[in-house]
Amino acid sequence: MLIRFELNKKQTELEVAASETLLDALRKAGFWSVKHGCETGECGACSVLMDGKLIPTCIMLAAQADGHEILTTEGLAEGQDIHPIQKAFIESGAIQCGYCTPAMILATKALLDKEKYPSLEQAREALGPTLCRCTGYVRPLEGVLRAAAYLRGEEVPPLNVKPIPVEAVFGPISPASGPTEESGFEPSGGVATTTRITTAPTLTAQDTTVVVGAPETKVDAVKLAKGRAAFTDDMTRPGMLYAAMLTSPYAHARIRNIDTSKARALPGVRAVLTYKDVPRVIYASGGQSYPNPKPWDQVSLDNKVRFVGDRVAVVAADTLEIAKEALKLIEVDYEVLPAVFDPEESIKDGAPVIHDEPDAVGIYDAQHNISATILAQTGDVDKALAEAEIRFERTYRTQQVQQSSIEPHICITYWDEDDRLVIRTSTQVPYHVRRMIAPLIGLPVSRIRVVKPRIGGGFGGKQEMLIEDLAAHLTIATGRPVRLEYTREQEFTSARSRHPFKITFRAGLTKDGKLQALEMVAIEDTGAYGVHGVTVCSVAGLRGLSTYKCENVRFDAKIVYTNKPVPGAFRGYGGPQALFALESFMDEIAHELKMDPIEFRMNNVVRLGDSIPIATALGEGGPVPQVIRSWGLAECIERAGNAINWERVKDPQWRFDPERPNIRRGLGMAVLMHGTAIPGLDMGSAVIKMNDDGSFNLLVGATDIGTGSDTILGQIAAETLGVPLSKVIVYSSDTDVTPFDVGAYASSTTFISGGAVKKCAEDVRNQIFERAALMLGTTTEGMILRNERVTTPDGRSVTLEEIAHHSLHTKDQQQIMATASHMSLQAPPPFGAQFAEIEVDIETGQVTVKKLTIAVDCGTPINPLTAVGQLEGAVAQALGYAVSEEMAYDQSGSIQTRRFGDYHIFSADEMPEIQAFLVPTYEPSGPYGAKAVGEIGIDGVAPAVANAVYHATGIRLRDIPILPEKVWRALHQSR
Amino acid sequence: MLPEFDLVMPRSLNEALQVLAAGSPEVLPIAGGTNLTVDMRSGRYEPKVVVDIEKLPELKGIRRENGQICVGGGVTIAELLKDGLVAETAPVLKSACALFANPLIRNRATVGGNLVDGSPAADTAPSLLALDAEIELTSQDGKRRLPLDEFFIHVRKTARQPNELVTALRWALPKPGTGSAFYKLGLRKADAISVVSVAVVLEAEKGVCRKARIALGSVAPRPVRAKNAEEFLTGKLLKKEVFEEAAALTAQAVSPISDVRASAEYRRRMSAVLTRRMLEQAAEQTGWKE
Repeated sequence: MLIRFELNKKQTELEVAASETLLDALRKAGFWSVKHGCETGECGACSVLMDGKLIPTCIMLAAQADGHEILTTEGLAEGQDIHPIQKAFIESGAIQCGYCTPAMILATKALLDKEKYPSLEQAREALGPTLCRCTGYVRPLEGVLRAAAYLRGEEVPPLNVKPIPVEAVFGPISPASGPTEESGFEPSGGVATTTRITTAPTLTAQDTTVVVGAPETKVDAVKLAKGRAAFTDDMTRPGMLYAAMLTSPYAHARIRNIDTSKARALPGVRAVLTYKDVPRVIYASGGQSYPNPKPWDQVSLDNKVRFVGDRVAVVAADTLEIAKEALKLIEVDYEVLPAVFDPEESIKDGAPVIHDEPDAVGIYDAQHNISATILAQTGDVDKALAEAEIRFERTYRTQQVQQSSIEPHICITYWDEDDRLVIRTSTQVPYHVRRMIAPLIGLPVSRIRVVKPRIGGGFGGKQEMLIEDLAAHLTIATGRPVRLEYTREQEFTSARSRHPFKITFRAGLTKDGKLQALEMVAIEDTGAYGVHGVTVCSVAGLRGLSTYKCENVRFDAKIVYTNKPVPGAFRGYGGPQALFALESFMDEIAHELKMDPIEFRMNNVVRLGDSIPIATALGEGGPVPQVIRSWGLAECIERAGNAINWERVKDPQWRFDPERPNIRRGLGMAVLMHGTAIPGLDMGSAVIKMNDDGSFNLLVGATDIGTGSDTILGQIAAETLGVPLSKVIVYSSDTDVTPFDVGAYASSTTFISGGAVKKCAEDVRNQIFERAALMLGTTTEGMILRNERVTTPDGRSVTLEEIAHHSLHTKDQQQIMATASHMSLQAPPPFGAQFAEIEVDIETGQVTVKKLTIAVDCGTPINPLTAVGQLEGAVAQALGYAVSEEMAYDQSGSIQTRRFGDYHIFSADEMPEIQAFLVPTYEPSGPYGAKAVGEIGIDGVAPAVANAVYHATGIRLRDIPILPEKVWRALHQSR
Repeated sequence: MLPEFDLVMPRSLNEALQVLAAGSPEVLPIAGGTNLTVDMRSGRYEPKVVVDIEKLPELKGIRRENGQICVGGGVTIAELLKDGLVAETAPVLKSACALFANPLIRNRATVGGNLVDGSPAADTAPSLLALDAEIELTSQDGKRRLPLDEFFIHVRKTARQPNELVTALRWALPKPGTGSAFYKLGLRKADAISVVSVAVVLEAEKGVCRKARIALGSVAPRPVRAKNAEEFLTGKLLKKEVFEEAAALTAQAVSPISDVRASAEYRRRMSAVLTRRMLEQAAEQTGWKE
């Protein structure tokens, strides 16, 4: 049917089908800014303005738009123009992955059209319907208020921050742990912010950085703010087919037979693949270095299913509707098998054996569903425990949660004109995907190209070759481009999640509270497949046993199969599980010993110069000894503690509110310590070449998943090469063009890929100096490269443009260019402190988190704006982990939380106040002194909230999430 | 794209009722579509014909009519939320609308759609039950009105016949001495289906309860009234002990289930806690101080 409506201020006619949603119609018409996120109107990514009101297009019929005025982000500003709202979002750091940005910008427009002077509360309400998993909403809210100022015609000063004094000619400056002066980073322009960034002004070197340490706007921000076609799905290919996946309705079953004849006969169906059609190649789907950690217990399509949501068959058809129709015509003959969902039941004799296939490789004890085990120790734990004056033992449990990136998993595969397979995919690990998929589809690596465009959030969920193999099989079977995308429901049933853990800590201490022995016994639920199981578990062991100084430590873990959807990598990677247990445990011990919880921790915590004993026995890529060479923990505790007004913990009256007798208030904290990259394993690399005008191309394999890594890597190159960031053109994550990188995980990109970029830029700089010496008839001795110009000690200079022209066209012609790789045996831990203020309604058990403060020592923040954005976003995810998110199942193992309405990720209007601080130190092994910042922020909210609930009520909750009913029950029992 | 169907776009209520006249369950009306599109995608409903009633003028408007408030079945939640008449005469409904799904869905979802979905957790239902609202159903054969309490039958089952549309909701203007309160206990602020929701409307004279309405969501196969508690309250002096007793009676009136959001026991206990609190709040609004 033909509809007529006003689209972006132009009268438009559009031919739509009766059953077409407005989302589909708009995307088909090339309005790519309108994104698919959930199919239920609950994520907001598909929003447009209809007659000035924000509406969800995924649950509206296109025909219903007839006669209305529709505005998409494309309609805000033509061509290269930028609308003030877009400008404000770009400048305020509101854009991380950018997938929900167009919707947020429209939500902002709807507000600002009505309200010239919006309050923060109105801004929160306005952004309420557009879920964002990256930012924690702090920067977007600033974007709204900044945009309002622009639209009122006010002068809005740029974001600014004092340069970080880092000795430009390198070599570490004394690793100060006590910086004090505020840097003056205040996002300004009448914009209320809840975040402060503190830099390290006590360093007194002469030279300061110019680009490193500056809040540069992200290099990809403009295209994201304008909603340009930048994501995997923002394109079509001629003849492209649409794929759909049939999944298991049973938690455990053998497939006796599959009859696909009816499905194949459906007009428009081009291929139907089952286990009968694809080669049986054993693999592990985690995006990890070669060889993938064992067990290898998966195949592309199997004749057995091991959880509700497991792969059964895949169809490619002319349209998605036909593909979905075909799924219904596939007849599967299941022999339903008994299933097991509790890891402690799963390891018992007689439990259903989940992996009985003979060709799995490296399962520790398949008969007892034990995927792997870990035992690591230093010192003599048994003796130290036996001799300890005081002993403690407590057990903690953590739940399964989902990464919930707003962009679902999606890939498009096609043959290029040279018969090479192109995989355009939303992945964190393009190089691992290329290597891992090759044997599955029977192509050599040389015939595969993996391209990662912009990606709508990952958080570990896309550190996985999750769907690329199925799309590739279909392209190979049909010869045609194939698009495969998960539905939001499949994100819950058939993607990855966070491993649930049961952790028992045992500690032996002296009477005065010095730790003598610490043992951590863990059972990890790895679901139906072992992917990431053993490495997540080893990180949990590392995180649980590193923070506190102790010679006698032991980690004893079992990684156990169950018939549940498969956990995998999720930001923190074992850290949040371990730190919930550890930081609750430390709090319990301190209270039992009647010691101040912070003082008790600080009496035991590792400090500058200390080694980490457990690192000599345990590591994700094998043990590598570690020594602390930068440490800002004390400052972090002071900063975040002051910000939450921790002193109130000493006032017993503060817990009560005379106006509200059913309310108790509480404060809690946790110490944070994470890792930076996998020592001895992770590698990144870079290529830099110089162009005629003195600009540079920077090519990196590093994978920007919204974190801003393209930007900070560009900043490191720009700083080293003496140019502004605008002179560095960053291109990343294309296996045909960019050099190798392990990908975006393990908090490694700034440190590892940044190290490669810095080395590479230094090499280029040396070539520039040599060329300048040739041009000036002098030596490179004492040359300085600054402000796009090389200057000699005697004051002569040449510009980079002159150098480029000379090298490319004039004499001894040469392309100034370099490559470099970087790996590290050091994994310098970032430190931090997380504080929480909460209220408990003692009649309903409802816990309301009022405020969260966090301070993190990440070495030098290369870009304080993106770094603090990492903390805010991580804290928001961690809050969900602490109080609301949980994948819940019925008795048959079928997941009950299949949409955002049931799975609670926080929205802007319900977030507590977040204050995030950076406390820089100088890490000698990192580029410009940098360490990791991507994951540490997700580690501490759950224990801080649990400790605050204890402070408020005396109730100790040892399992998360802290749901109202759990608190109510515990309060009930204690009475 | 959704599973295929034919879309009919009538220009008047009569035209729409004609299409629905055969009473086939395969012909379904759509307004905001916030439930129906999701249900069609999941395969819960597989209509052959969908009738777009969104733009029908007969289903629009909020007005005063013969001492009552009359709201068209096609009025959106956002319209209810910002309407002055609703705020003045039915604050208990406004409170429920403020916590209805998310602002995005409020711009599309209609009050009629929320009710005909037959969900025990329908966000507007407890407030409308507490207002003693009447629902108007219209078919080609004519109009009928019934108390909303008789409209809900069971989970996803209501008194609406396939040939009928919800054309209006009506409730009486509040008498002097009326107080009301609404609370939704969820795992999150709004965009979560409630664990328990409670709406209370009290009419009192000099502190004596003349009429009480207590309605709850998510605690039975349908939105329910706690009639035993309502009867108990009638004629009683509004005071703490009375509220406690009424709350305990309310807990007896509900028949919750355990699901992923909460256990039956918790829901039952919270029904009492929240009812007591809402009675206290509503009583305060009647102008009476203990």
